[in-house]
Amino acid sequence: MIMSFSLPLVKMQSLHKSYADGAIQVLKGIDIEMKPGERVVVIGPSGGGKSTLLRVMMGLEKIDSGSVTFDGKPYISSGSSESKTVIDMSVRRSIGMVFQHYTLFPHLNVLQNLILAPCKVRGEAKSKAQDRAQTLLERFGLGAKAKAYPAQLSGGQKQRVAIARALMLDPKLMLFDEVTSALDPELVGEVEQVILQLAAQNMPMMIVTHDMWFARNIASRVIFCAGGVVVEDGPPEQVLGSPKEERTKEFIDRVFHINQ
Amino acid sequence: MELDFSILSKFQYALLLGLWTTLKLTVICIVLGCALGFAVGLARTSRNIVLRALSSAYVEFFRGTPVLVQLFWIFFCLPLMLGVELSNFTSGVVALTLYMGAITSETFRASLKSIGPEQFDACVALGLPRNVQVVNVVLPQAVLRAIPTLLSNCVSLFKESALVSAVGMADLMFVGQNISNNTARPVEVLSVVALIYFVIAFPLTRAVSVIEARILGKLAI
Repeated sequence: MIMSFSLPLVKMQSLHKSYADGAIQVLKGIDIEMKPGERVVVIGPSGGGKSTLLRVMMGLEKIDSGSVTFDGKPYISSGSSESKTVIDMSVRRSIGMVFQHYTLFPHLNVLQNLILAPCKVRGEAKSKAQDRAQTLLERFGLGAKAKAYPAQLSGGQKQRVAIARALMLDPKLMLFDEVTSALDPELVGEVEQVILQLAAQNMPMMIVTHDMWFARNIASRVIFCAGGVVVEDGPPEQVLGSPKEERTKEFIDRVFHINQ
Repeated sequence: MELDFSILSKFQYALLLGLWTTLKLTVICIVLGCALGFAVGLARTSRNIVLRALSSAYVEFFRGTPVLVQLFWIFFCLPLMLGVELSNFTSGVVALTLYMGAITSETFRASLKSIGPEQFDACVALGLPRNVQVVNVVLPQAVLRAIPTLLSNCVSLFKESALVSAVGMADLMFVGQNISNNTARPVEVLSVVALIYFVIAFPLTRAVSVIEARILGKLAI
């Protein structure tokens, strides 16, 4: 047996999160353990807490209670006093995230977008960061776009740049929050190809998506999240193919119906 | 009536000197006013309630009173209250800088507010520390977005600066008025003065739309 596989990469324990002083509960006790090398796709209806879950993982949202450990180290916990969420910044640096709306810096060109964090956060030499950036861009078919500004790129290109930018920091976990939802249908494929490329290299990832074809292709595990709780959790063929839970089944039927 | 523009050739030098004063005053007040405006713009978006109240009071007061009254107040009342003599030029600089600071602070405030929350999400996801966020992400975007409106603000200041003639500063307007009084040729002299203002202001207003299109086209911000 390979012992290292017994240690989870991510361990979320009883995560609770609400807005408006508890009036709107988004996460109602989420427990998820993720092993290294796993690719977890989170599906579910809008407002079910999927995106919030990813935002909490990135340290963008406070939590009401619960905790997250990452690679065996404490990462996020609700502090002793109220509304104080403690986030370990050094742990956060090993997580990368890509958003629905690209969030590139519009005043910087592609290369500058990629090297800003490595140079400013890690103090990496500019020439070295530029070399790494160029290599990464070539790999994603964007070699010729290094000097272009985000506004001069298509949505698919922007999103591939955003993925490359996150990878510049050598993350141990990548979070993808509906990264193809804002794209024209013909551009979805090129972005998904890049993510599949990362999957082939065993990059651990958590993906929120509405694209069931993509979910089936990339997931090593699918979690169905609704009403702020995990309803079903299992291998893709089970959750997407023959779900056990009635709620999952309804959702899958509806989504596949729409896709056809 | 007969127009005779040749009389103006005698006053070429005086007009140029007046223009020089106008330009010098405008440029100094643009630089100082923009710096003041940026600081006040930051203060107005600050979380500190005292900073916000003070900066708002300043901006509302200067936007809500005529520039001419502000000028007279600084020329005649400020020296009385401080007990020091201020030179004409210093008073002009103080008055127009305060005016420019008030209007550009609104420009900067709007541009700071237009930076969407997703930019801050990206900063957090990339682990950028606060100072890097401000210097490398917020400030350049705020300034780029503000440039077209700032240029309009500068053109306004250039034109408003003619008001300093009312307190005896020998700017272009003041010189023109004197020549016009002495020669009894107001039509020729004042037309030429207006033309000089226009020749300088017009390219700048055109530049606003060109630069706006450039920034919007290339950076879409």
